[in-house]
Parts: sequence; structure tokens; C-alpha cells
Amino acid sequence: MAEAKPIAGTRPLAPKPMSPHLSIYRFQINMILSIMHRVTGITNYFGSLILAIWIASAATSEQAFNTVSSYLATPLGLVILIGFTWSVMHHMLGGIRHFVWDVGWGFSKPAVKFLSWATLFGSLTLTAIIWGYALSHWGIR
Amino acid sequence: MPTTTYRTELKKVRGLGSAIGGPGTDHFWAQRLTAVSNLFVVAFLVYTGLTLAGAPLGEVKAFFGHPFNAIASILVVISTAIHMRLGMQVPVEEYMPHGLKVPFLFLNTFFVIVIAVVGVLSILKLFLGN
Amino acid sequence: MVQLTLPKNSKIRKGKTWNSPGANAADWKRFEVYRWDPTTGHNPQMDTYWVNLKECGPMVLDAIIKIKNEIDPTLAFRRSCREGICGSCAMNIDGTNTLACTKPIKEISSTVKIYPLPHMSVSKDLIPDLSHFFAQHRSIEPWLQTDSPPPETEWLQSRDDRAVLDGLYECILCACCTTSCPSYWWNGARFLGPASLLQARRWIADSRDERTGERLDNLEDPFRMYRCHTILNCAQVCPKGLNPGEAIAELKKLMVERQL
Repeated sequence: MAEAKPIAGTRPLAPKPMSPHLSIYRFQINMILSIMHRVTGITNYFGSLILAIWIASAATSEQAFNTVSSYLATPLGLVILIGFTWSVMHHMLGGIRHFVWDVGWGFSKPAVKFLSWATLFGSLTLTAIIWGYALSHWGIR
Repeated sequence: MPTTTYRTELKKVRGLGSAIGGPGTDHFWAQRLTAVSNLFVVAFLVYTGLTLAGAPLGEVKAFFGHPFNAIASILVVISTAIHMRLGMQVPVEEYMPHGLKVPFLFLNTFFVIVIAVVGVLSILKLFLGN
Repeated sequence: MVQLTLPKNSKIRKGKTWNSPGANAADWKRFEVYRWDPTTGHNPQMDTYWVNLKECGPMVLDAIIKIKNEIDPTLAFRRSCREGICGSCAMNIDGTNTLACTKPIKEISSTVKIYPLPHMSVSKDLIPDLSHFFAQHRSIEPWLQTDSPPPETEWLQSRDDRAVLDGLYECILCACCTTSCPSYWWNGARFLGPASLLQARRWIADSRDERTGERLDNLEDPFRMYRCHTILNCAQVCPKGLNPGEAIAELKKLMVERQL
């Protein structure tokens, strides 16, 4: 950036400030969902550790498997698993939404709004169905 | 006060030129390809989770002893590993400060390979152990 | 590198209130305006102005012209056509980027908050430095390029081919879309942004242009185009109702098509 040269005896121009952005921008649903797609993607990335540890414990020994299983069955473990499930569902539906756009559909303002809300509600619904089923059958074992 | 560089804006915009032959479209394409296969991944993971929730080790071994389940779960590992590797690359490129970018791009690949190898070997062991 | 907060010299201070209507505020509207003076070395501040809407035109631009004329002549902003065709008065009003000349004051229920276009280097008050933005536009070479011998008169185009340019050629380069894009905020040095990419699409879509391949080559880059993550803030704010996100999706499809 070429800064203006000060004239002798005058104060040099101050470096230009950056105009505000995140702090003043009105969040819209499409923007929030885009952030959530990234956040859930990163969550799933690290969530894969849970699956890796679980399958590795099953392949290691009965003792290791039971230890990992008991951790997962604690209230905190269940909350993490339910959260992970929601994160996967959200990222999957978000992926479908992006796929629709990549094909060239759904760019009108109402369509963008609909696809965004559908992703959000769809992910919550799918998580509820999956865990409703899992918890009701878990008790039977 | 930033020092004057006398470089034009066009010089900055053109930078090192377009990375043609680089990962641009290939990255985009591979990410979409594995996104589609991940739909089946999620379906299989949900099926696995619901089948094995709270199950003792014996049932888990029996489950992965079935060739269909073993094959499907290895495909799950491959598809998710590629997708994770490509996916994490993007925020690393966008958010990491200059000096940390390359180390974290390396770490990303290493992490995914470790997860994938652990996953595949564990599945194979469970499958062959029966 | 992403910096979610503002640098030290950009943090906004409380500013001064210029005129208050006192008790008779029924028809008066409160405007908070971003101010920065390059000659003082002070941080930017938010100044408050009150405008009697009974004596003011309907648009936000009318109000800031009135403020400059009657209250504070030091307020700096760009404006020209005052009817949404020149793109000069683009700014962030009520949280979104728009043209001050086509934004009705009455659409804003409470205080009207006005900032320069987001995440830009500020020259003064509401005037952002657009030199990088225009250099990016320059870099996609927004003019007709041909190698065939030019015809005696003009290059012809069928009506159908001309119709393809609808929704692309109307861009007025106001920079509302580009500066609404979070991806541009974080990676604007290398990501070309929605406005330039919409124009890249416009010349690639032009039936008369013979440099389609070279133009796509120019975008075959992880940063120049592929930092578009279809957030679609661009389409939400475009004062001409254009959809840069959709245009970029079409570019990505062409990129894939020429590889398959």
C-alpha cells in the first residue's frame, strides 16, 4: 500500500484502519448454516477418534473393550455420542444441500432459506429418531 | 507505519500465478465423490451403531466376522479418511498463520492415515479372528 | 491468517452526538455513523446524528447528504447517481451491505447504523479503499478477447446467446457482494471474491469470446475461485438482484466438465 508522503511540517497520515466485519454484520440463516457445516465437519474429524478407539479396543481384548464401552455408556459418554450423531447428521444434510447447489439448483432466496432450515430441522429429527430407537432397545438388552 | 513497497495492486493480485495443475478442481471433485459415498457410510454407521449399541464383545466379533459387514466397514474407513483429509485441509489453509500452515497440513495427513490404518487393521483382526 | 477481531488501530471508540432533537423527537431518526479521520491518528468512532424525517428524502443517502449539508460538512462518503446505477454509495447499513441511495430509511425500525463496507481498508469515514477489489476485477480481463480476424462491422451474437448474459452483465461493481463474503474477509488477498468471479463467468459465457479455456485456466487455483464455499451472502445483498454464488457454481461445473 503506497502511503502518502507527509508534507514537511505536517503530521503523516495514520495507517488505514480495517472496517468492522463479523461484529457488525447481520447474521442470516445461510451464513449460520455455513459456519455450522464447517464446525460439524471439524467435530466429525475428531469424532472419528471415538470410532477408532472403540473398534481398536474390540480388536485388542475383552478388558479393553469393556473399559471403552463403559466409558461410552456414562451420561457424559452418551451426551458426546448424541452430539456426535447430530454433528454427523447435520454435516450429511449440509452436504446434500451443497450438492444441490453444486448441480446448479436452489439458488433463489426462498430456496436458500428453505434448504438451510431443512438442514437444521432435518438433522435434529434424524438424531431424535436414531437415539429414540437406540435408547429404547438399549434397555432391553 | 507500513513501509512503502511501490508494488501495484495488480502485481499482488496476480501473485505467483494460477496454480494450474494443482489441487483446485481435483480437490473439489474428490470431496464431492466421497461426499456421495459418505451417504452410504452414514447409513452403515447408523445400522452398525443400532445393531451393536450396548452389545457384548462376542456380538461385536460376530458382526465383523460377517464378510459383508467387514467389507462395508473397511469402505467406510477409506471413504471417510479421504473426505476428512480433504475437508480439514480447507480450514487449515484458511485459518492457520503463515508459519503453521505447512506443519498442520502435514499433521492433517498423518492423523488421517493413523486413524485409517488403526480402523482397517482392527476390522481385519475382528474379521479374521473368527 | 484469520483475525476475527479488529486490529488495535481499528477498534471503534464512542463518538460524539452532534444534534439532539430533545423532547420533540417524534419525526426524528437517530443515525450512528462510522467516522475516521486520517489526519488525526485517532481510532475510528461512531458519531450520532439526528435527522428530522419530515424534512428529508426517503432514502438513507438522502439522510447522509442532509447530514453533510446541514450538520457536519466533514462527513466523507461516495455518491453519484442517487438511483442505484453507479454503485458509488455502497456501505453497510443496518447490518447488511447495500446502496444507500436505494435503501429506504423506513425499512429500519430503530437507529440507523452505517459503516463502510466490511473488512476493508478505510481511506476516510465511509470510504473504503477499493484498489485491491478493482485490481482483482482487472485480473479476470473483463473485455472481449478474440483471435479470429475481426468482422467488417461488429461481432454478432444470436438472441439466445445474448440472453445467457442476463443476470451477469448488470453488475455495477459496487462491491456489496465481495465485502459481504466471509471467505473474502479471511482470504481476500488470494480469493477473487464474488464480484470478480461473476464477471469471469460473464466473459466465459459470452458466445463471442474466444479465450474460454485461458479464462478457466486463470481460475484453476485452490484460492482464486475455490475459496467460494457457497455461503451465499453475496446473493442476499446484491442491490441488482444478481446471484454471484450461482454464477460461481456454473464456473465450477465447467471446470469439472472439461476434465471428464
